[in-house]
Amino acid sequence: MGESILRKPGAVCLFAVIVCAFCTMSGRAAQRKEDLMVTKNAPGRFGGSITVAVRSDPKTLNPVLAVDEATREIIDCMNADLIHINRETQQTEPALAKSWSVSRDGRTYTLRLRSGVRFSDGQPFTADDVVFSFELYLDEKIHSSQRDLLIIGGKPISVEKIDDYTVRFQLAQPYAAAERIFDGLAILPRHLLENAYKNGTFAQSWSVSTPAGEFAGLGPFRLKEYVPGQHIALERNPYYWKADLQGCRLPYIDELVFLFVPSEDAQVIRFQAGDTDLLSRFSAQNFAVLQRGQAAKGYKLEDLGPGLEYNFLFFNLDNLADKNLPEIARKQVWFRDVRFRQAVSAAIDREGIVRLVYNGRATPLWSQVTPGNRMWVDASLAHPPQSLDRARELLKNAGFSWNSAGNLMDSHNQSVEFSILTSSSNAERTKMATLIQADLAQLGMNVHVVSLDFGAMVDRLLNSFDYEAAMMGLASGDADPTAEMNVWLSSGGTHLWDLTESKPATPWETQMDQLMNQQLVTMNYVQRKHLYDQVQEIVAQDLPVICLASPHILIGAKDRIGNFHPAILAPYALWNVDELYVQ
Amino acid sequence: MRYLARRSAHAVLLLLAISVFSFALLQWAPGSFFDSMRLDPRISSQTVSGMRAEYGIDRPFVVRYARWLSSMLKGEMGFSFAYGTSVGPLLCVRARNTLLLTSSATLLAWLLAIPIGIWGAASKGTWGDRACGMTMSALLTIPDLLLALILLLLAVRTGWFPVGGMVSAGVGGVDFWSRVADVARHLILPALGLALATLPILVRHIRSAMIDALESPFIGAARGHGIPRARLLFRYALPAASNPLISLFGFSIATMLSASVIIEVVLSWPGLGPLMVQAILARDVYVVIGVVMLSSVFLVAGNLVSDVLLFMSDPRIRVE
Repeated sequence: MGESILRKPGAVCLFAVIVCAFCTMSGRAAQRKEDLMVTKNAPGRFGGSITVAVRSDPKTLNPVLAVDEATREIIDCMNADLIHINRETQQTEPALAKSWSVSRDGRTYTLRLRSGVRFSDGQPFTADDVVFSFELYLDEKIHSSQRDLLIIGGKPISVEKIDDYTVRFQLAQPYAAAERIFDGLAILPRHLLENAYKNGTFAQSWSVSTPAGEFAGLGPFRLKEYVPGQHIALERNPYYWKADLQGCRLPYIDELVFLFVPSEDAQVIRFQAGDTDLLSRFSAQNFAVLQRGQAAKGYKLEDLGPGLEYNFLFFNLDNLADKNLPEIARKQVWFRDVRFRQAVSAAIDREGIVRLVYNGRATPLWSQVTPGNRMWVDASLAHPPQSLDRARELLKNAGFSWNSAGNLMDSHNQSVEFSILTSSSNAERTKMATLIQADLAQLGMNVHVVSLDFGAMVDRLLNSFDYEAAMMGLASGDADPTAEMNVWLSSGGTHLWDLTESKPATPWETQMDQLMNQQLVTMNYVQRKHLYDQVQEIVAQDLPVICLASPHILIGAKDRIGNFHPAILAPYALWNVDELYVQ
Repeated sequence: MRYLARRSAHAVLLLLAISVFSFALLQWAPGSFFDSMRLDPRISSQTVSGMRAEYGIDRPFVVRYARWLSSMLKGEMGFSFAYGTSVGPLLCVRARNTLLLTSSATLLAWLLAIPIGIWGAASKGTWGDRACGMTMSALLTIPDLLLALILLLLAVRTGWFPVGGMVSAGVGGVDFWSRVADVARHLILPALGLALATLPILVRHIRSAMIDALESPFIGAARGHGIPRARLLFRYALPAASNPLISLFGFSIATMLSASVIIEVVLSWPGLGPLMVQAILARDVYVVIGVVMLSSVFLVAGNLVSDVLLFMSDPRIRVE
């Protein structure tokens, strides 16, 4: 019957009109040639799967609401950003935006998007999706943790669609790291999420219980299956917008599986047992254990050197006037004296920490920037070795003395005794505190190590201020100094040593505020570097935090994984997951 | 029926008391879910304050408890800060896994304990009984954590068992019976660990109840009548010894639940244990309360069942 209808000339014309109308309706976007990004990796082999362990289930699959590391690691494999930070070079590179230009005043960024790109459900990607995504990130009611990155000069950035493949971002002031803020900001499909946003149910959308068919992203993989408490399986996105040198569409592997293995030791066991193909975030002790079976079990281990994490000791410099903590307030007279902090720093054997705590797989630190941060580390900074003589000299100059038993006494003849808080869940920091205790005992200081549950410790640091000194480690996700603004600005929420400041409490903090604010708006890298070098010098000299060591990034991978180029920026082993293949 | 209603009312009151107590303890515990967010240099304190206000963290204790209680009645069981969703569905899947593990382990433990206990009682004072008693004492002294680690070591060294999880990755596409076999293979070690953790207590109780029953005059009379040994043990002595064993059944559920947290965490069994540990560390309070309440429900239900069984099996309790 169908054949007889099509034989009639009128019916053929009608059919042609319908086809034309359909093509027109499906939009110009769908007709445009696909603007694939060609990667420089060695061409690999298609097929197979890779299994990785993560510490916990994803808490959500909504990129706007994701906070924790495990969730972000999984979500990042299903989504893509406009401009991406290459984890190997630590520089920005085009992603969904194939190019961009900056206005002369440094306040306007115009991004040209790849055309013909499709979400993992086959729907086209356009500037509307970009505008919609940024509307979500910037909505105060959604409380996205990424929103703060998009507030520049106290004002949210604005985004405007120029045409289907061009968007313009307007900043309130020039911003040195503007390109880097796009990294990790997933572009979301307006066609799937707009209704939820308008209905006020966006916070509930794309939760872990959402069926796989309701997701779509621009990343190399899309959701296949989530089994709570066990694993999440992602499958190859057939519409992914990257290709290799031979023009073959990436990714190479068919399936990426994340197993939920809650402890580091269990992850190491499962890697050894052959259940997982890649392993990252493990200790130097486990590295030594794994080294023994390396050749026999067909895997390789790599020590990538220091990452961005810096561990430090700091003293409580909070204003305790309205707190009933007289004993700590009495000791703050010592802590506020820079010579006391310098003496403590001089007495610490950082090399010993590296050797004994990290089996040599860490790098000693004298400022907050690790040698792994190649672009920003101040190579000229002095690295004084442990010197008890210098420490004693500094203490003597600060009015301290020693009694006949060798105990250090302050100018009021009170013995110098304080406690260091550490988190019981971090064995390395507890060991570091114990070594520092022994180092400071040589100066006659009586130091106690108090190991607390992480939550209880954080409560003391941030809320009650009921502590004398503490061990902590910070690692910002990006190498750029702007990621650390909240740490070094006196008004910052992570200004750990004194959270009670609304304005700088010391001249060096005033200087640090000025330098940090200045580097933020300085567009020239050399000038910015000079400014941030000065911040590092202040940290090394005035010691708001006494930097100790940066653990190395240790990675393990099965020999069969091709194109494996781990980096010191997270996600260390999976940053080029679209290029990985199974040999 | 009146007995059942009275016991059920007691159970509800007990659960309510547990909820108030656990809610209060967790609210007073230092730190909150949002504190660790404040340590992220990329998140401002204003954003964190906004989140705290949004989730009602700063509201008075009574208001928070009332809100939680109303969500309990709706089956939502509160709101998880970490998952951004109701606690009920989160617990549902994991509770099913924990129930599978604990019920398998309970079955295994009782299947082992009854013959061992009866044999111990029947051969009281012999060399075999003493050896069995010493083995059970040794097993009793091994902490659950060590037991779980020994089993994990066994899995790693021999390669006979999976070293964690409940299913193998990629098993989703295979047929139903292969999936059942896969789950069963993963279940062996955790169920064995859990069964071994409770076995010594069960064996000791069964043995002592059986000894009491075997020493009673009616068994002596039955023995005098020449009733065969096996019939004497299983037909006459075992029913007479069943009262304390039925009470022990309720108790064994409590032991199983507490041991299962450790076994699940070490052997990566995706039950309530790992979820609770993560929630405690992250201060995701409503998830913790949810797990506590669910475990309490299991425990209370186990005790209720054992009370009802006791009521049915013992005419003296019915008279009382």
